[in-house]
Amino acid sequence: MRPILLQGHERSLTQVKYNAEGDLLFSASKDDTVNAWYSYNGERLGTYAGHNGTIWTLDVDYQTKFLVTGSADNTMKLWDVQTGQCLFTWEFLTAVKRVAFSEDGELLVCVTEQRAIAQGAIRIFRVNREDGKDQDEEPITLFHPLGSKATLAAFGWDNKHIITGHESGKIAIFDTKTGEELRAHEKAHHDSVTDLQLSADRSYFITSSKDKSAKLHDSRTLAVLKTYTTETPLNSAAIAPIRPYVLLGGGQDAMNVTTTSARQGKFETRFWHKIFEEEVGRVRGHFGPINTIAVAPDGRSYASGGEDGFVRVHFFDETYFRSRPYGELEPED
Amino acid sequence: MATATATLAKTSWADDIDEHEPIVRKPTIEESVDDNGIRTVVEFTTNEEGKKVKITRKIRRVLHTTVVDHAVAERKHWAKFGAEKGSKPGPDRATTTVSEPIELKLAAGGVKQAEPEPDDAQAMKQKLGGKKVLCRICQGDHFTAKCPYKDTLEPLGLGAPGAETPMDGVATPQNEPAPSTAAPSAGGKYVPPSMRAGAANRAGESMYKPGGNRDDMPTLRVTNLSEDAEEDDLRDLFSRFGRVARVFIGRDRETGVGKGYAFVSFEDRDQAQRALERVHGMGYANLILSVQWSVPREQRPGGA
Repeated sequence: MRPILLQGHERSLTQVKYNAEGDLLFSASKDDTVNAWYSYNGERLGTYAGHNGTIWTLDVDYQTKFLVTGSADNTMKLWDVQTGQCLFTWEFLTAVKRVAFSEDGELLVCVTEQRAIAQGAIRIFRVNREDGKDQDEEPITLFHPLGSKATLAAFGWDNKHIITGHESGKIAIFDTKTGEELRAHEKAHHDSVTDLQLSADRSYFITSSKDKSAKLHDSRTLAVLKTYTTETPLNSAAIAPIRPYVLLGGGQDAMNVTTTSARQGKFETRFWHKIFEEEVGRVRGHFGPINTIAVAPDGRSYASGGEDGFVRVHFFDETYFRSRPYGELEPED
Repeated sequence: MATATATLAKTSWADDIDEHEPIVRKPTIEESVDDNGIRTVVEFTTNEEGKKVKITRKIRRVLHTTVVDHAVAERKHWAKFGAEKGSKPGPDRATTTVSEPIELKLAAGGVKQAEPEPDDAQAMKQKLGGKKVLCRICQGDHFTAKCPYKDTLEPLGLGAPGAETPMDGVATPQNEPAPSTAAPSAGGKYVPPSMRAGAANRAGESMYKPGGNRDDMPTLRVTNLSEDAEEDDLRDLFSRFGRVARVFIGRDRETGVGKGYAFVSFEDRDQAQRALERVHGMGYANLILSVQWSVPREQRPGGA
């Protein structure tokens, strides 16, 4: 395959995300703009400018109408995807580390950083889908998770549940209305959880962690279904539709790159068999740790964003779909 | 090209340089389409240094038609915004480039971890067992060839006082070649071809002459091959007779379509012979394969 190289950012990538149909790809980085790309040819559709700091996270709703971004400038912004205009800005006391839409786009979850001036908080907002500029400044729910601070959050199998990932390696389920912790798995990982992505039907999800492993969990019970142990800290993990693989990306911390052996192997996207928990292949290309991975909803391509500031969009070859490394027996999706 | 010659006729090239006259010349573009549908675009332009540049691009256009969602089709016509406002449609080369091809091979059994390469000296020391390595020059704990004083000090005479057997390698039973003459070629370190073991003459050799390792391998020529046959298909077909060292499929340089012949090299002549007997005349993809021994270029009647 010939990857398309997207050079729209001046600093390292923080999150890449496809929209529901997979024709648009959004990328956020430590510089202060978000880029939107046509995923099929890598053409840049536009930029979303307005933030004043690192954009840690973004999400796009199911209609590709609204884009939400969270930034280190302590704001969360809602954008019109088509025109690139900022529709609304929420201000907080601390940086926004993670944002996510619910499946129907009606709700928005936002995780803010824990600092001396403010506790780490998870807020749920209702989104006015009719008029993007008329949003409620106050969240419908606000709660402070006890114990380790949350860094990741996403809506679970319905709008009533939120799945969170924490710095200690804990994962938990919270009630959207009450903010009550319904279930928790304290030692899901031994180090901070770095990414959390749900399967298409939201019945299970994958987490990656600095403890060099990625795990597949059941959305309702949080039980660990599968474990993928690598030899490098992981920054991102994604579930590939169609084929039974998961994609893991990582590499040693940016601050350690120059002091440790620069073996290329650490900066590769690793393909692991979802069921047999075995590495089946690697894709090289980045010359820094991979920070974020997203697989297109149709499973025919994936994008990875690295510490090197590049986004690489890969379209799988025919052999990827044909190859059966473990024989003809295939798990049903 | 007509405009180019016209301007050149007026002024000589020497005048051109003296006056530094910027030649405003529209790039001449020649386009031609060959039988295979390959479009060749030859462009003559002048670059920043005023040098005339010929750019040849070969393009094959393949029309992919996909049925997309209504919303997706609509989004394709969205006006660009932000930093891209007013940009013309199509990817901009400043932000979007196509990178070099990358292969993703999926295989069971886990990806092998590249073992850190064992240090040459360490490996040799292990080979020698507990025996001591003594430098002939400085009596240090290393091979003479690796001695830091190699160029400055004269080697001590054999049987130097005090040393029992001051020889490199301490006379291993296999009687290793003296390290000072044979550079270590094992390991991952690059060794120039002329320095490698077995390099008969240090003057360098031609790739075209026989005697290279490639021509030594027993090679079969497979003809009447299907256009669709891939390297892997042939490998599958022939590997049942033995280890296949190399498969080469003759292809059209531009279209990449197979030309109907291939070369398959085995590591073992007997296996190749067996493969020849078994595969010759075999039906493969609706064609009857023909397999012969490949004849090296020189021995072929009629030369090249």
